Amino acid sequence: MRLKIRGLSKRYPNGVQALEQVSLDLSPGMFGLLGPNGAGKSTLMRTLATLQEADSGSATLDDIDILREPARVREVLGYLPQDFGIYPKVSALDLLDHLARLKGLADTRGRREVVERLLQRTNLYDVRKQKLGSFSGGMRQRFGIAQALLGHPKLIIVDEPTAGLDPEERVRFHNLLADIGEEVVVILSTHIVSDVADLCSSFAVIHHGRVLLTGEPAALIDSVRGRIWRKIVTKEEFAGMKGRLPLISTRLQAGRTLVRAYAEAVPEPGFEAVEPDLEDVYFSTIAGHFAVARAAAA
Amino acid sequence: MNVLTIAVFELRSRVSLISTWVYWLLYAALGGIWMAAAGGAIEHASLTVGSEKLAINAPYPLAVAITILGFVGVIIIAALMGRSVQQDFEYGTFHFLYTAPIRKRDYFLGRFLGAFVTLTLIFTGIAIGLEAGMHLPGVEAARLGPFALQSILRPYLFNVLPNTLWLGAVFFVIAALTRAMAPVYIGSVLVLIGYLLAGDLLNDMENKTIAALIDPMGTTALDALTRYWSVAEKNTQQIPLRGLLLWNRLLWVSFGFIVTAVGYRAFRMDYGVGRAALGGRRARRRALIAAANEAPAPEADGRLSDAGAAGAMDRSAGAYLRALPGTVWLYLRETIRSPRFYTVVAGGAVFIVGSARDVSSIYGTTTWPVTYQVLQVTAGFFALFILVITAIHAGELVWRERDARMDEIVDSTPVPTWLGFFAKLLTLFAIQGLLLGVVMICSIGIQLWQGYTHLEIGHYLFELYALQWPRYWLLAALALTIHVLLNQKYLAHFVVVVFFLVSLRLPDFGLEDRLYRFGSVPEVMYSDMNGYGHFLPAARWFELYWSAATVLLLVLANLLWVRGRETGLGARMTGLRRRFGPGAAGVAAVAAAVLIGSGAWIFYNTHVLNPFLSRFDREELQARYEKRYKALEYAPQPKITAVDLHADLFPHQHRARLSGTLTLLNRSGAPITDLYVMMPRSTEVRGLDFGIPATLVDFDRELSWRHYRLSAPMQPGTTSVCHFDVGYAMKGFTNDGAERVVVDNGTFLNGAIGPETSFVPSFGYLEDAELTSDRERRKFGLAPKERAHDLDDPVWRRIGFSRDADWIDYRATVSTVAGQLPLTSGYLERQWSENGRQYVSYRMDSKMADIYPLQSARYRVRRDRWGEGDRAVAIEIDYQPGHEFDLDRMIAGVKDSLGYFTQNYAPYQHHILRIIEFPRYDQFAESFPNTVPFSEAIGFVAKVDDHDPKDIDYPYFVTAHEVAHQWWGHQITPASVQGGDFLTESLAEYSALMVLKHRYGDAKMRRFLRYELDRYLLGRSAEGKKEQPLFRADGPTYLHYQKGSLALYAMQDAIGEATLNRALADFVADWRMKGPPYPTSRALLAKIMAVTPPQKQYLISDLFENIVLFDNRTTAATWRPAAGGGFEVDLTVSAKKSRADGLGAETEVPMDEDVDVGVFDAKDNPLLLRKMRIHSGLQSLRLVVGAQPAKAGIDPLNKLIDRNPDDNTKEVSRQ
Repeated sequence: MRLKIRGLSKRYPNGVQALEQVSLDLSPGMFGLLGPNGAGKSTLMRTLATLQEADSGSATLDDIDILREPARVREVLGYLPQDFGIYPKVSALDLLDHLARLKGLADTRGRREVVERLLQRTNLYDVRKQKLGSFSGGMRQRFGIAQALLGHPKLIIVDEPTAGLDPEERVRFHNLLADIGEEVVVILSTHIVSDVADLCSSFAVIHHGRVLLTGEPAALIDSVRGRIWRKIVTKEEFAGMKGRLPLISTRLQAGRTLVRAYAEAVPEPGFEAVEPDLEDVYFSTIAGHFAVARAAAA
Repeated sequence: MNVLTIAVFELRSRVSLISTWVYWLLYAALGGIWMAAAGGAIEHASLTVGSEKLAINAPYPLAVAITILGFVGVIIIAALMGRSVQQDFEYGTFHFLYTAPIRKRDYFLGRFLGAFVTLTLIFTGIAIGLEAGMHLPGVEAARLGPFALQSILRPYLFNVLPNTLWLGAVFFVIAALTRAMAPVYIGSVLVLIGYLLAGDLLNDMENKTIAALIDPMGTTALDALTRYWSVAEKNTQQIPLRGLLLWNRLLWVSFGFIVTAVGYRAFRMDYGVGRAALGGRRARRRALIAAANEAPAPEADGRLSDAGAAGAMDRSAGAYLRALPGTVWLYLRETIRSPRFYTVVAGGAVFIVGSARDVSSIYGTTTWPVTYQVLQVTAGFFALFILVITAIHAGELVWRERDARMDEIVDSTPVPTWLGFFAKLLTLFAIQGLLLGVVMICSIGIQLWQGYTHLEIGHYLFELYALQWPRYWLLAALALTIHVLLNQKYLAHFVVVVFFLVSLRLPDFGLEDRLYRFGSVPEVMYSDMNGYGHFLPAARWFELYWSAATVLLLVLANLLWVRGRETGLGARMTGLRRRFGPGAAGVAAVAAAVLIGSGAWIFYNTHVLNPFLSRFDREELQARYEKRYKALEYAPQPKITAVDLHADLFPHQHRARLSGTLTLLNRSGAPITDLYVMMPRSTEVRGLDFGIPATLVDFDRELSWRHYRLSAPMQPGTTSVCHFDVGYAMKGFTNDGAERVVVDNGTFLNGAIGPETSFVPSFGYLEDAELTSDRERRKFGLAPKERAHDLDDPVWRRIGFSRDADWIDYRATVSTVAGQLPLTSGYLERQWSENGRQYVSYRMDSKMADIYPLQSARYRVRRDRWGEGDRAVAIEIDYQPGHEFDLDRMIAGVKDSLGYFTQNYAPYQHHILRIIEFPRYDQFAESFPNTVPFSEAIGFVAKVDDHDPKDIDYPYFVTAHEVAHQWWGHQITPASVQGGDFLTESLAEYSALMVLKHRYGDAKMRRFLRYELDRYLLGRSAEGKKEQPLFRADGPTYLHYQKGSLALYAMQDAIGEATLNRALADFVADWRMKGPPYPTSRALLAKIMAVTPPQKQYLISDLFENIVLFDNRTTAATWRPAAGGGFEVDLTVSAKKSRADGLGAETEVPMDEDVDVGVFDAKDNPLLLRKMRIHSGLQSLRLVVGAQPAKAGIDPLNKLIDRNPDDNTKEVSRQ
């Protein structure tokens, strides 16, 4: 099971270039798609989920041409959209059963078993007869993953699943995702770096519709080791640095500003070298300093 | 932010929406097309508002156009007003707005104002469209009056703007409080119900006030206000905001204000109390959910993704087809579980039952709730209701997933698009089915409530589910398609409703062929006598045709179904090619084949087997007939002096064969060599000769005109015998369905109504075939024409019923299928069976007019007798078994009539009188020599309550009227000139009134005459040529029926019934069975003049020779104790008398005459009623009565023709 994306482009009627020459290769396992809001992640997800057309390019899942054979894709697809609703007056059991039916689980008894099993695994079994309108955000997301898994999909697309979840719920949700089998291609789109760090064996950074970086987290962290520097500065000092130094991120720490920079050597006196993490990779990429790394990783 | 900022923001965002301009454009287009049709720019269109004498841009027609078009706007008001506040909840923007420093007042008013101004802007489209339409090329200058801005502005002031204001306020409040759109739509449905109910109530003028007030739209109030406006007034007078219209507007606008005030108080700019509030049950549920959430996930084996693995996956079409019922049930359950569905259904049911109290009423008297009558009311009332609910639910279903934001999940499953689409369609069907069930339950409830227990469940099921339901399916499919194509929920609602309404009116715009009127199916009318007859197959063919077209639409809609994020029509069109697989192609191919096949078959039937004649085509033929043959109008032709008919009816084959002889006499004074023979176009002529060898020199098939030249002239004074052998056979069906000429049970060949229904040859040019409407005549270059020949026209004074004959001898042999009884005029001489057919032979023993019916049905017969010895008359009613309700009333009517007429006028010329029922395809009764065909709809199912002082025994009355025609019509045959209808119809109506009066008393007369006054005033207000004085009555029923009975009743009231009858008897004595020349109204007026005392002779001028109207009123009424005991009543009355011209323009004339003045007690019993001398203008009257007065006034019984009869009397107050 391999997903191959080649030169995928999409421009919206209002002129926004949502995707520009996106090419990716995905093999089974969890693949993170990391990018800020508006980077084009959802457009890519929806295109792969057959909900949107691309202007050019191709995408294939083994022998399935995703852009031309939506029906075949849907047979092996599990999709958890970024922003989905549920019928508030229907129970979890009924809705999941209905969706199972739509996915092609025709046999009533078999379907019932699958539905109950999934509810159990997503820890929703006890509330299966409750109206979905009374569910909390985390429960809804778990219901979402349950429906995405119906029918044993080969390609699972999970779009921004952890946005808006409290820390506990996020942990629960990560556990669920981590439990998905390794023989399945899972695309997890997120703007939260730790989602990728926790779950993904490989990932890509997408920004302004373009793929800036792909690779394995550990390898990429290695490749920036020794180039990440940090310093605690005052507001005034920070104002002086902006634009002058290759800063990649800033963070407030007890009222003062902690800045990180990407540089081959110490950018300025007072900076200290730090052990990089995935966030540094991500921010270096977004900030445009780590462009070379793309070639290195490819 | 203040009010204005918010309003302007709302307005600007609305104006930048394309849908706002689509609404505007649709409105402008509707207005333009309306005017184009009314103005004659669309050649085939024929749209007349009120009367063709009205200028299309006169105040009244414009008010009607703007109010009707504005009415459709309720849906836009609901959409815009509701959305202006509901969208903040839908999109969650309320979070920002409600936490911003915006005061509630500013938010509430600002949003409302913004939407109000937008709506006003949209509605300007009507005026601009109408105005533009007037200037289109082809609009006839003669139909335009002078421009007056007021005529366009006023309807906005009293209708469009107040409705937008108050309805908008109510919809706004509903949306603000419920934070949802569905309740807003329920509101609009309730408004629709109110409007329908008001219109229904207005049919009975006694409900005028209540009807005018309860109509939320004010349309009914406008109708009530202008009800009696003459043509002249409608042309020139601006609609004033007063009376019922003013009250209605005040009522509803205040209602709007109250709702707004209450809603404003209740409205909170917060998250919503309802969301946060936790009832006990809900709190427990929350706790349960929280606990479940906290619980650790169960230990499980295996990978999570494997948990979703199913043993058997089946994604075949068959498997998904099996999922269909469940999916439909899922959708349907959602609808029928929602309280709003129940609200609407319950509201509809209440109004059905309410409006069907009087299932069908004539003169305020109801009929028995026989199934077809009840269904006509309930299903008819519910039709619009079902349409609106279909339109709304179509939108809800199409948007169901997207509204719940489930679309991405569902769209990315492998389910075929058709499953959801098909399930939604079936859900719509099911909703319609449920509503039809409501109709059935309500109808049965009404029947039981009224004590009618003959429940025909089978009939209900067939009518509702086998006839009506499939037609609603077509509309459901169309609504679904429109929603898919437009992909704009609120705009689509409007387009669907406009489409429904416009498609109903297409024939007015010259589009009559059902082959291109979507969903159009010929009417199938049920009759107790004939069931559904032979009308179903034609209807089914059209249904098949439109079903096939609908399937094609559905395939298209399914292919263009929005799946995913590509919502633009262009993008979907591109995707269409890819989606168009073998399945869709197969279905489309089959549907196209059925469409073409059934269309071809229909075309063959409606255009080849039968000529397709649109209204325009028929008018064109009439014009051509006149242009081509008018010159031969006075060519001498022979007269028929005897008819010997042999008629064979084949009811089940829908054909007839008529043969026989006509004895012809040349009474013209000149030799005749050319015969011009007319027969209906459908007549098949097997043989025709005239006793003298003749050649057919010209046969104009289209106009059915045959010109024969005799080899030797027919000399004056000689007779000849014409043999004819003609046939009629129904051929397939027409655009209006199967022909109703010969039906399975209840055939009625009416030999009196011109050439289309009589198959016996007729001679000479037929003036009745000419176009009568001056507007249509102008269209074809013909000069305007009067409705009748001048009263003193010497040629036409010599013509009676028809050009063909004066008085004839008549005999006939009629045959029909076994089990049916054939009937015609005359006396039964022989009755026998032969070859399994039923034969009868009839002969009339005296001369009679040249009209005779041919009827055949399975009759049951009720017999009775009137009188003794020589004068004895046998009475016979041939009726449909089951229709026994009113036979006794009819028999009594015949007996009382024979008694009164023989005593007061002259003997009855026959010794049998037969009433024969026929199916309700036509609704009249008509008097033939000794025979009265009588429609099942107008008396056989009447439910007269003798204890109800308001009920009028109309089976009795109609019977008396028809019996009276045996005198007025068959003994006195008037000349074919103006006033002829006065001698027949007015005198018959008067005679029936007198019979009714003697049986039921004068009080019933008063009620009856109020109806007559209402219908007279209503009739003249829609006059299309010019109103004639009564003695020149020339056709309009308001004249010869309504004004005739009012005038003759007033005459007998003034000079005495016996005196007037003496004049009538004298008149009959002079003219009984005489002619040519035939009598005219001048002869009758002379007789009346002779018995009228000189001081009352002005009445002859006022009642018969002129159009006189009064405006009498009581302006003050007080009482005080009289000196000698009793009560002294002081009245101030004002009197005014005018003469009107043909269009109703009035000129005041001096008044000085005796008028009733009356004083009544609290129970409406007269304390005093006497004639007093009244002159024009104000005057004081003093009267003394013996008991406490309650009401008093001038002309209290409405004997004079007064357009404001309600202000004649006044409550009497203590001085």
